[in-house]
Amino acid sequence: MNCTEFRELLGSYLEESLTEERRRMFRRHLCECTSCRERAVSEDPTLLFAAAPETPVSQADIEGCAAAVTAQIRQQRLARGLRRRRHPWLAVAAAVMIMIAGGLSWKVMLGGVETSIPTAAEIHLQDDARSIPPTVEVEMTGEDVRVYQFAADEDDDTAVYFVVNPGMEL
Amino acid sequence: MTDRDWVRCAQDGDEEAFAQLVRRHSGGLHRAVARILADDSEAWDVVQMAFLKAWQRLDRYDPRYKFSTWLYRIGTNLAIDLLRSRSSRERIHKTHTEHRLRLVGAGEGAGSRADTNEADGILGQLVGVLTPQQRSAFVLREMQGLDTAEVAEVLGCSATTVRNHIFQARKALRGEMRLRFPEYLPASERG
Repeated sequence: MNCTEFRELLGSYLEESLTEERRRMFRRHLCECTSCRERAVSEDPTLLFAAAPETPVSQADIEGCAAAVTAQIRQQRLARGLRRRRHPWLAVAAAVMIMIAGGLSWKVMLGGVETSIPTAAEIHLQDDARSIPPTVEVEMTGEDVRVYQFAADEDDDTAVYFVVNPGMEL
Repeated sequence: MTDRDWVRCAQDGDEEAFAQLVRRHSGGLHRAVARILADDSEAWDVVQMAFLKAWQRLDRYDPRYKFSTWLYRIGTNLAIDLLRSRSSRERIHKTHTEHRLRLVGAGEGAGSRADTNEADGILGQLVGVLTPQQRSAFVLREMQGLDTAEVAEVLGCSATTVRNHIFQARKALRGEMRLRFPEYLPASERG
């Protein structure tokens, strides 16, 4: 595009009536020809913006942007992966455990004595201590059989009888 | 490799392919967003957000359109949202005062210096008179040199609306420049 054509097309450019191709040629001439640019800007100062060259962007800024975006993508993926691994039943199990612990704590508070939950072995020992030693109720000589009665001190009505072969006793 | 090739790889979860798209388009998007916002550093935040959003929505990308157009749409929308949300009046006023001081004695031969800082500096002070849509249309069309159809696609409006935005923006800027930068007027009008 020469300077004469440029001047002829100035009005059409401002009215947005040029084809895209003619428009590109007009803009190229505006950037390249100092005298035409001076004249055009003096006629319409907004043409200063069309003639503005591209602001240089440093490679460091671009690399920094790429690194930041990649890091955020990885962070999002990691967060999404962690969310997937969590299962809803774990929350339910945790809630049940809390309720049980709460209930036991409440029971202990009401009891006012026990401060910890006894283990199965402790319960067994406690039961042994409370029980009276087994007594041989019936010695059936010649029959190779012994009958044992177990009864608690507190409850004389209840007794458990075992019929044992003495050869098998420990 | 073309943008579409990189996009296809990125859609399969390839982060490095997406990083290539960032390297290819972040500069251009930053230039446009910085001019719309009149803020260079804030523009980088918007550019990063735009790429992150693009990554999250890659499955919605329509390959019939250019990747850059789709990206500009996301970036421009974010910039417009930011413009609407922030109260930039005071900041623009402050920048204007500072720039006026720098421009003292810069009246002669004004049109001959089409340097980046000059045009961008003046635009930075004047964009406050434009609506976010007018700003975006003017920057994309007049400064970034996008086609009308592309600008329409970016802004999600018709080509006629884009032309109208450009026309209104030019009119408003012309009026403001006559008031605030008389050195750009023809000698006969300067008085």
